[in-house]
Amino acid sequence: MSTANDILASFEPLFAPKTIAVVGASATTLAAANTFIRRMREFGYPGRIFPIHPNADAVDGLPAFRSVAQTPEPIDYLYISVAAKHVPKMLAEANGRVRFAQVISSGFGEVDEGKALQEDLVRAARAGGVRLLGPNCLGMYSPRGRVTFVEGGSVEVGTVGVISQSGGLGTDIVRRGQARGLRFSAAVTVGNSADLGPADLLEYYLADPQTRVIGIYLEAARDGRRMFELLKAQRAAKPVVILKGGRTQQGRMAAASHTGALAGDDRVWVALSRQTGCLLVDTLDQFLDTLLVFQALTPRASAPTREIVMFGNGGGTSVLATDLFSRLGLQVTPFAATTLAALRALKLPPGSSITNPIDTPVGTLQQDEGRIAEKILDAIFANADPQALVMHLNMAAFVGRTRGDVLGNLMQAALRVQSRYPGRAHFVLALRSDGWPEVEARKREFRDQALALGIPVYDEMMNVGWALAALAQHERFVASRRASP
Amino acid sequence: MTADDLIRSARAAGRSSLDESAGKRLLAQFGIAVPSSVMVAPDEPAGPKLTGLRAPFVVKVVSPDILHKSDAGGVRVGITDSTQVDAAIRAMCAHPVIAKARLDGFLVEEMAPPGEELVVGGLKDPQFGPLVMVGLGGIFVEVMQDVAFRIAPIERIDAHEMLSELKAAALLDGARGRAPVCREALIDVLLRVGGAGGLLLRLHDDIAEADLNPVIVSERGAVAVDARFILTPEGGK
Repeated sequence: MSTANDILASFEPLFAPKTIAVVGASATTLAAANTFIRRMREFGYPGRIFPIHPNADAVDGLPAFRSVAQTPEPIDYLYISVAAKHVPKMLAEANGRVRFAQVISSGFGEVDEGKALQEDLVRAARAGGVRLLGPNCLGMYSPRGRVTFVEGGSVEVGTVGVISQSGGLGTDIVRRGQARGLRFSAAVTVGNSADLGPADLLEYYLADPQTRVIGIYLEAARDGRRMFELLKAQRAAKPVVILKGGRTQQGRMAAASHTGALAGDDRVWVALSRQTGCLLVDTLDQFLDTLLVFQALTPRASAPTREIVMFGNGGGTSVLATDLFSRLGLQVTPFAATTLAALRALKLPPGSSITNPIDTPVGTLQQDEGRIAEKILDAIFANADPQALVMHLNMAAFVGRTRGDVLGNLMQAALRVQSRYPGRAHFVLALRSDGWPEVEARKREFRDQALALGIPVYDEMMNVGWALAALAQHERFVASRRASP
Repeated sequence: MTADDLIRSARAAGRSSLDESAGKRLLAQFGIAVPSSVMVAPDEPAGPKLTGLRAPFVVKVVSPDILHKSDAGGVRVGITDSTQVDAAIRAMCAHPVIAKARLDGFLVEEMAPPGEELVVGGLKDPQFGPLVMVGLGGIFVEVMQDVAFRIAPIERIDAHEMLSELKAAALLDGARGRAPVCREALIDVLLRVGGAGGLLLRLHDDIAEADLNPVIVSERGAVAVDARFILTPEGGK
């Protein structure tokens, strides 16, 4: 069993490579590997890049070398995107000079005629002393090492570690996730996982102090047993969110033709979740929403999330959300008499409903620079004990209102109340848009403002519900395993 | 015989599973309660062997050719003395399916006290290794597929949660005027099958599937009344 430090040290050349070599960049046209080189330069990669080319002297203005054995320095990270049949020979030539190779090329184990070639690939990597990622993947994103396969990935080093068996979905996870406020410690696409697989990277992220929550997109789990053992041993110390493709029979057929390995029975995934506390989700949106809740909030096993206070503009939205939350095991319980009395004493203008959920027109929320909202929240926290406060705003009501910083005032009010009652309730925001351009623009502006304050922001109450239900599940699991001997 | 001996002798006889008698001895090795029993040969008077067993009895055929004993007419219950045992064995031997089968003999065992019938199972997942399963017997397993799975090894809290997860869990707590069953005894069975050091992990090279069906759980305890073990293809793994 390697220690956390051994694991971190062994992966350091992958996540922060000092040298990179690129196979498959063209001297004359624009291949995927040329795009990779351009992205690396734009992303500010500080180390040396060595293009490998059979006859050109230079590629993209960089001196090229004939093979991986001939670069002036050993290679920490080798990016390979050439026809599958050429790849094994290249790795066999590495001769201990290449630490990690990521094989983007497809045509290996995911298709019948490539299975033998994948075995050759693994043998060649072993012979060359190379650890292999892929084949049939897209690359890796590591903001701290300034390595990226994604266009537009942030240079900010975050706390979310991602493993994706699909390359395309890996791109979606980073880009869509980033637009929702996620910031990544790294994201690695592992494709066919011929050598290093999801369990190896899971082990790394569990050891990595920078990573606080882990997201995995899986299609097949050949190393399922090891994943189970790693997850069981960590007893949900870090939340792990799993988006598992191929949990239905039809999905399994799609997965089999995609990554080339049959996915396990769905029941085993439910079992994995129940006994290790990892969180299973069904859609990309749920995956990102759940990662965001753990990025932004600190789970509280001492008081697992259950009672919710809902506060916002939109009566119908509150009613529907109350139903949904209830189905998800979250309670929006009407306030007790003491809380109601305290709220009545505020003498809110007509049109407000003060039982839980609280429904208040924007005009009211805006009064007195958000101080009304602060008084409402103060009255609640002084008299009730919710585990989460969900504020939802229908953005259409904000368009055309230019007077004052309404959202800023509201958020500051919520944060001030939160700080007066430390450790009491999570704070989550839903910014609801009807999709019209001016509303979308306002929402984008509000979202950035909220994210800058560390508040998780969601599109709809449904997304809030999923995220809080996952948070609650994690908190309950941690609590149950602490209590058990 | 130890667990390994039981498996070795089944393999030596060219069998791909353990018969009921061997299966129950295997369970007993792991501390799981099985009914007291004796094996009786087809033409042997049962009387002398029954001393020490308490009626009522169950008589079951034991044959490598008969997997579904009830369907083959190979199970008789509620038998009160040795004369009835002999008569039951004679009647079974005349049954067309049993008459054609290779016979190891007949298992005569004490009937378990009444209780809820559960199924405890095990199987080997190609990716995750041994899985342990529990469900309520009969239609709950077969029609409703109301079962809970976990990956071995399970802990006590996992076993508790498996039972709570069943839609029919209320039946364990004494629904419809019946006495609540002893959950702890059932949890012990689950741990002895799927816990650390349990049957599935200890024998994971040899056991492909395990089926304790039914396990009868009463107020006082849990007894595995039937057991089947399918062995992995020779050579293990």
